[in-house]
Amino acid sequence: MEYRYAIILYLVNQFRGERTISGIYHLLKGKKSSQSIQDSFLFHVEPFFHSCEDLDRRDFKALIDECMSRRWISSPEQDSQRFVLSSEGERVFSRLDGHLLTPEGLNFTEQVNEESRFWLKLQLMVQTLSALLYHQRAFLPITRQPSVTESVRRCIMEASLGRSKLAAYFYRELVYFLQRCPASEAELLTAQLTGYKMSGLTVKQIAELTGKDEYECRILFKSALRRLMREIAEFPNYYPYTGRLLIVKKSALSLSAEETLKLIRSGLSLHEVAKKRRLSQSTVEDHLVEIALKDRTIDMSNYLSDRLEKQILEAASEAKTKQLKPIKKLLLDRASYFQIRLALAKEAVRRGEDPNGTTDE
Amino acid sequence: MGRLMNDHESDLIAQARDILKKKFGYDQFRSGQQQVIQEVLSGHDVFAMMPTGSGKSICYEVPGYLLEGIVLIISPLLSLMEDQVNQLREIGEKNVRALNGLMHPEERSRVLAHLRDIRFLFISPEMLRQHSVLTALSRVKLSLFVVDEAHCVSQWGHDFRPDYLYLAEIRSHLGNPACLAVTATADERVREDIVRSLDLRAVNYVLMSVDRRNIALAVHKVKSSEEKIEELCKLLSKVQLPGIVYCAGRDWTEKIADIIRQKLGLRTAFYHGGMEAVDRRKIQNQFLDGQLDLLCCTNAFGMGINKPDIRLVVHFHFPATMNAYLQEIGRASRDGKQGLAILYYAEQDEHYPLGFIDANFPDDTLLRQVLRELDQGLLKLEKKETFLTSLQDRGASETAARFIFENVRFVTRGMNYSSIFEECRKKITERRSVQLNELSMMKRYLNSTTCRRAFYLSVYNESQSEKLDLCCDQCGLSLEAFERACPQTSDVHPEQTLDWHQRLATIFRESERDI
Ligand SMILES: [Zn+2]
Repeated sequence: MEYRYAIILYLVNQFRGERTISGIYHLLKGKKSSQSIQDSFLFHVEPFFHSCEDLDRRDFKALIDECMSRRWISSPEQDSQRFVLSSEGERVFSRLDGHLLTPEGLNFTEQVNEESRFWLKLQLMVQTLSALLYHQRAFLPITRQPSVTESVRRCIMEASLGRSKLAAYFYRELVYFLQRCPASEAELLTAQLTGYKMSGLTVKQIAELTGKDEYECRILFKSALRRLMREIAEFPNYYPYTGRLLIVKKSALSLSAEETLKLIRSGLSLHEVAKKRRLSQSTVEDHLVEIALKDRTIDMSNYLSDRLEKQILEAASEAKTKQLKPIKKLLLDRASYFQIRLALAKEAVRRGEDPNGTTDE
Repeated sequence: MGRLMNDHESDLIAQARDILKKKFGYDQFRSGQQQVIQEVLSGHDVFAMMPTGSGKSICYEVPGYLLEGIVLIISPLLSLMEDQVNQLREIGEKNVRALNGLMHPEERSRVLAHLRDIRFLFISPEMLRQHSVLTALSRVKLSLFVVDEAHCVSQWGHDFRPDYLYLAEIRSHLGNPACLAVTATADERVREDIVRSLDLRAVNYVLMSVDRRNIALAVHKVKSSEEKIEELCKLLSKVQLPGIVYCAGRDWTEKIADIIRQKLGLRTAFYHGGMEAVDRRKIQNQFLDGQLDLLCCTNAFGMGINKPDIRLVVHFHFPATMNAYLQEIGRASRDGKQGLAILYYAEQDEHYPLGFIDANFPDDTLLRQVLRELDQGLLKLEKKETFLTSLQDRGASETAARFIFENVRFVTRGMNYSSIFEECRKKITERRSVQLNELSMMKRYLNSTTCRRAFYLSVYNESQSEKLDLCCDQCGLSLEAFERACPQTSDVHPEQTLDWHQRLATIFRESERDI
């Protein structure tokens, strides 16, 4: 089965009809909304968050339509955008090898917020170095994003060694990394790089050239990129130059959530943080949910008592859903939406980390 | 043309020729260039109409080395600006910079802090209206005020830019340096508009023919899309490449690229506005670097693209104006060698340009609703981009959104927005009818039974000087003259290798050392 069908069946199965098809699209695109981020944890599909950032909405829609016309997925309610696997879909899906869906590197999501920018910087750096090596006086840069251009410029200016030396180091570091990378991933990453008289290929072009599935190409590439970012974070000594393009963050929190966390640690209440940062209360709540998802060491008992947390989880399992509304109703409104989200988030983290907790029952 | 040169002038021209040889490597000026340069060097305001591919940038680049001060070039398009900066860098000019909205603020202030070292400064009209920029510029000497794509100043032009309307005022603020207004095509009405709006005085006109004599023209009438594709494949299997195929929509570009790749094995890619910026840039670079034989694209591709050896321009769908058509075929054979422009025409294609024209303006319902919401304070004008986006979210095209913005921004306090509804509608009707006229001109070209070249020249009040051997399908055109030497390219192209080590080594020039 082609990868693109497999990934859709897999995600539909994980989402269990609790999110619309847009939810899957936003997950793959990596929409920076708390809903998408939270969903990726709730349904245990974090590796796929931001895995196909260049996905076109129309292409995605066509793929969903195709899965429908093959009767692999169906909508339990009429005219609904929520889908589950049909019995035929389940049959096909059960024969799939789940491991092949997720190359190892895809799981290294700790720098997911940085990966687009890092990739642009890397491409521009390689293009610039290649132009320098071939004495090309002018070239059309792969990106004009000011922050990217500026940081690559600074990186070249600050390197005290000569430019051809700098290029040689970059080359050596990249080779060192790529040799450790599965060949198909190394191929996908390198084929996209642009150099003198050798413009990089788009993912679509690579898919055509190799006869591979386009979605698979995207995933393999992301796996390679995330491997590289993890290598840099773990072994900075091996990547003194490539490492300069990556600001390694200790936590995977978004900048804004980190700011909120800092204030909360200084003793401010949720309400005070919102007021101080001129954010809405719900935005700050989003931050807390994000924090709960990404850092289980933070104490949340100020917002959610153990007792209420337990009740929420019981209600969730009784209602057999992760949708907030039915849970809230079952609890006769004793918990706020925020508290329910928080409880579900903590539960998702627990289950994700518990080796005995299975993700599919 | 007729005027005799005095000694001083002939001396200047001799110097200019010297620069042309030394800096640009050409022995002689192309037609039109010398006249423009001569007028510019004498300090006159000049209006120059020079067709795409006639080397108009030489006209301000050469004076840049002879006059004292900065040559300021106002350019409406980022891609255009980028390309021109690159071309100057390629000949070794280091003192060339660009100022546009996409730059990092730090880089912008670096440029402004070192204005005195700059010889050529490219700038977007929006940037020129910024106070800090204008102040910095008023402190240095400007030798020449170049308005590129000058037709953008005219409401009648096909590409009106409201920011161009302030150029006359800005120029006078900067001490009225001599002005060179350049455009590829402009009919008489647009020309008058430009001269008036830019406040050009005692202006010298240099009007070159729009005729691109080295591009042969043909129109093929067909019944259906299937027939078009069949004809296109036949053509592409024979004629010289690289080439461009212009299509009306992104789906078509993808579809045709797919068919050509599979049927003919040509290195083919597609390009349209719906693609990610990085992907667009990659495809563009591939085409410029000769990694592609054929590019299927929408009209989003082309501005600021400088590839001299494009041999073929195909129109799979026809554009809405003669002007756009000439611009697009003008991308062929800028190196002066023989090129070919083929247009496939099926009656039913008309709905594409008609659709474009409709999309240029808001419909009554949207217009009325937007004005009402402005009155109620539900929509706000403070942030231009936010306003434009919110209109686009309601289904307006970018041009339509801009149209509304340009009309409501002048509504003064205390005035009712809804009160300009009729006025807007009148403007829409007016502009629409201009565009429909242009479309009917285009259709007359397609259906004409006489020489195609004579037809388009007559649109610009020109006549043909002499008959060409390879003129057009009406004059008789055999495709044999355009056939490529070996019909099937089967060489291995190094840029297509997927072996990562080999690829990386080439990029880093390591293959030349030993590994
Ligand atoms: Zn003719």
